Amino acid sequence: MDADLIEAPIAAPLAEALPTRRPPSGVWRQSWYRFRRNRAGMIGLVLVTLVVLTALIGPWLVAYAPDDQSAMLHGASRQAPSAVHWLGTDRVGYDVLSRTVYGAPTALAVGLGAMLIASIIGVVIGGIAGYVGGLVDEALMRMTEFFMVVPVFVVILAVVRLFGIVVVGTPLERVPNLNLITIIVLLGLFEWPSVARMTRAEFLRLRQTEFVEAALCIGTSRRDILVRHILPNALPPLIVLVALGIGGAILAEAMVAFLGFGDPRSISWGQALFFNYQILQVAPWTCLAPGAAIFVTVLGFNLLADGLTDAFNPRVRAG
Amino acid sequence: MLSIPVSAQDKPLLAVEGLRVQFPTRDGVVRAVDGVDFHVGAGETLGIVGESGSGKTVTSLSLLRLAPPPARITAGRVVFEGEDLVSTTPARLVAIRGRRMAMIFQNPATSLNPVLSIGRQLSEILRWHTGIGRKPALDRAAELLRLVGIGDPAARLKQYPHELSGGMKQRVGIARALLCEPALLLADEPTTALDVTIQAQILDLLAELRTRLSMSMILVTHDMGVVARMADRITVMYAGRVCETAAASTIFDAPLHPYTRALLESVPRIDHSYSGARRVLPSIAGRPPDLLHPPAGCRFHARCPEAVPDCARIMPREISVGPGHTVSCIRRGSPAETELAA
Amino acid sequence: MSAVLEVSGLRKQYAVVKRQLLRRRVTCAVHAVDDVSFTVRGGETLGLVGESGCGKTTTARAILNLVRADGGEVRLDGQDVRPVLAGADRAAMLAVRRRIQYVFQDPYLSLNPRWTVTEAMREPLRVHSPGQEREWNARVAELLSTVGLDPRHGSRYPHEFSGGQRQRVGIARAIAVQPEFILLDEPVSSLDISVRAQILNLLAALQDRLGMAYLYISHDLSSVRFISTHVAVMYLGRIVEMGAVDEVFAHPRHHYTAALISAIPVARPGAADTRTQLKGEVPSALNRPTGCAFHPRCAAAMPVCRSVDPVLAPMGPHSLAACHNPI
Repeated sequence: MDADLIEAPIAAPLAEALPTRRPPSGVWRQSWYRFRRNRAGMIGLVLVTLVVLTALIGPWLVAYAPDDQSAMLHGASRQAPSAVHWLGTDRVGYDVLSRTVYGAPTALAVGLGAMLIASIIGVVIGGIAGYVGGLVDEALMRMTEFFMVVPVFVVILAVVRLFGIVVVGTPLERVPNLNLITIIVLLGLFEWPSVARMTRAEFLRLRQTEFVEAALCIGTSRRDILVRHILPNALPPLIVLVALGIGGAILAEAMVAFLGFGDPRSISWGQALFFNYQILQVAPWTCLAPGAAIFVTVLGFNLLADGLTDAFNPRVRAG
Repeated sequence: MLSIPVSAQDKPLLAVEGLRVQFPTRDGVVRAVDGVDFHVGAGETLGIVGESGSGKTVTSLSLLRLAPPPARITAGRVVFEGEDLVSTTPARLVAIRGRRMAMIFQNPATSLNPVLSIGRQLSEILRWHTGIGRKPALDRAAELLRLVGIGDPAARLKQYPHELSGGMKQRVGIARALLCEPALLLADEPTTALDVTIQAQILDLLAELRTRLSMSMILVTHDMGVVARMADRITVMYAGRVCETAAASTIFDAPLHPYTRALLESVPRIDHSYSGARRVLPSIAGRPPDLLHPPAGCRFHARCPEAVPDCARIMPREISVGPGHTVSCIRRGSPAETELAA
Repeated sequence: MSAVLEVSGLRKQYAVVKRQLLRRRVTCAVHAVDDVSFTVRGGETLGLVGESGCGKTTTARAILNLVRADGGEVRLDGQDVRPVLAGADRAAMLAVRRRIQYVFQDPYLSLNPRWTVTEAMREPLRVHSPGQEREWNARVAELLSTVGLDPRHGSRYPHEFSGGQRQRVGIARAIAVQPEFILLDEPVSSLDISVRAQILNLLAALQDRLGMAYLYISHDLSSVRFISTHVAVMYLGRIVEMGAVDEVFAHPRHHYTAALISAIPVARPGAADTRTQLKGEVPSALNRPTGCAFHPRCAAAMPVCRSVDPVLAPMGPHSLAACHNPI
């Protein structure tokens, strides 16, 4: 062993080499530690957890099936909240609490589903554009811009309506929640450009960092550089974008449903608003409940994204 | 606090006594400057030398109360032309900044406003402080550009910072500082970001200007060569405290503090041959301490080749060891300092 | 070791392109590296010095094919390695990369922030000696000790180390595959002065021990003097003087070298009085002066300097300079 290299002129004193009382070491764990100290982010996390729990176990806990219209049969529809129906009943006798709770899994399916599609497409396209560059980059970016320019909302409405007509009489008609799936896919298809641009920017930036150059000097293969060096470092801003996108997708679906283009057989908050907005003045609870649910969920994801931004990019704060 | 007058009749232009600057952070309080004393006489250049974490930059910014929040001056006085800047009103500070005491910064690229022309930036300052009209202000700005060695000043006034080279930008920065003929110029690493040959030009310029304008200067740097060139007296700082202050020749010929000595020995010399069998630079073991949790006692004791057990307990106080020469080291006779509540 | 790295006629230019709607017009070219040649033998250190824009970093990156050079050869023991590095034969490319490594300037950015130090050091082992995983851990521990770090700290992340320690990790990573040549780009410029001496000592000791050759790039002439056996001075992409280090520093023949040396503030009061004044700034590479690129700033310029480009010529037994009117 090179014992004579470890003598006083070269060796750093090892005892004080590393501070011992610092927060946990991993970069992800460090981000978590910072996240915990961000109030907005923690509130967001709590809200999102609430929604997720509601989606997972809520349906087991509510007293009424969501499509139970028995209340209408004995004239108890449009009832104010009472001991029997905690949030009242809606225009056609559904229990508002049940419908609201059952709307949660739908909302999450929309948000997560849309962003999953958007992320996969976006990361692949943005990554290729950012890493390869040149003409490929130009072509992909023009395509991205095309998707950004198209008016998403109008297209969704049109496609949903057309699809609904086209599908009549075909085996596809019997697919459950086809409309909802269409909406999810369309939302994903129009959300990917922002992911792609962010990914491209990150890949461009990371491609030029010194540790990537160091990897090149070592001889690491291009694939390894992409997957082991660049991708993990590109994730934080992408995660933030995804969190924001989930909230946005949920809101978009609610808007589509509210306009009447949603899936009438799915249980969503937008649908509830669509059914009940006409009786808003006489039975406000029917709209307030799903409205509040949308608000809380989207707010939760936005605050979460806010907190994540801070956690990944520590800023020196006065205090 | 101890303050050593330069000579019996000279009242120093600037006297810093017991300055303490702290940064409260989530992890604790960072004591960036922890009891610093020095003074600058009229027409004198003081070099403040230290590495990162020594507190030299925070000190120089704190003189004008420009240290960025959350920095807070928690103790001490900065007496400039008879007035304590720590306790004075913001209105007085604004009147002094740029007028009686001016500053040039390390990075000329970021210290000039990129969206304003040079002429606009310079004349604005003049008009703010002296209220003169636009044309006279521009004339004076041109005069100053000539003074700092920029040819064709009229054209330069219309240019924007990005059109100038690094050396030119720093010259503009110097011109900006000299607009109102300040009594004291603070230069924080003015040449670190510049190429070597440009560095020499800027240092020559500063030397010439301070003589021509009879200006005092505080030069903050980590480069011993720069202070050798420019400073009359040198203050060596480490981890927020002053180690040693003396005339420049004394610091280089007969340094007393172990840190000063070790620092001078560890810097490779350009006028010295190292082609021998065994090339070793006497180096200082370890690294600068964490200012969140500074070591007890003397800040340098963990790395000091002359440390004794007492060094870990006792914070040394400045003691005079010769005319104009002070040192903080118990091995050189410093008494213990009673710890002041921060 | 007796390996030899010969660089001859290396060229890299960047075209300044004016983009009109459908055409691209090349207006001029910036010669970042302009016909650079030198030789480094095992155990030696060539210091490459110059100010910003002189092309020293580009030269190093061109040698390693981090930027694609436009011409010239890089011979390792006689074999031109530039086509190998750029070529498709991965095994041949790896064989070359193993022999030349790079230490970066910025200790903060040259390590992947999401990898532990051990992972960072295992990467060269994984790439060059796959299949020997059992020995990797031992080798990593050995490397960390060699550069003066505690092997137990290998599981920590770069941000937990100081700048000097990170640079040690970078050096350990570079020597992991036992290269014959290491290119070091300003390895101590970002470090505190009290830490620089430690790292310089480490580099010197490693060289004495392992016999590698260094190409040491820096604008800090004092550290270059300490570590180099030879030095080459670059100006606007060309080497203007080259030779044994003591010879060049004590008796520079090119006026730029003399100005550079005398511009360094010496840590001795009063030393500044004997200095060569250099006027003007480094000209933009877009507007390269005719003839000798240095002539506008040179106090000893002659008429021929304005028109004829000087070539490197021997000025003594140990040095070369490109000057019509050498000192």
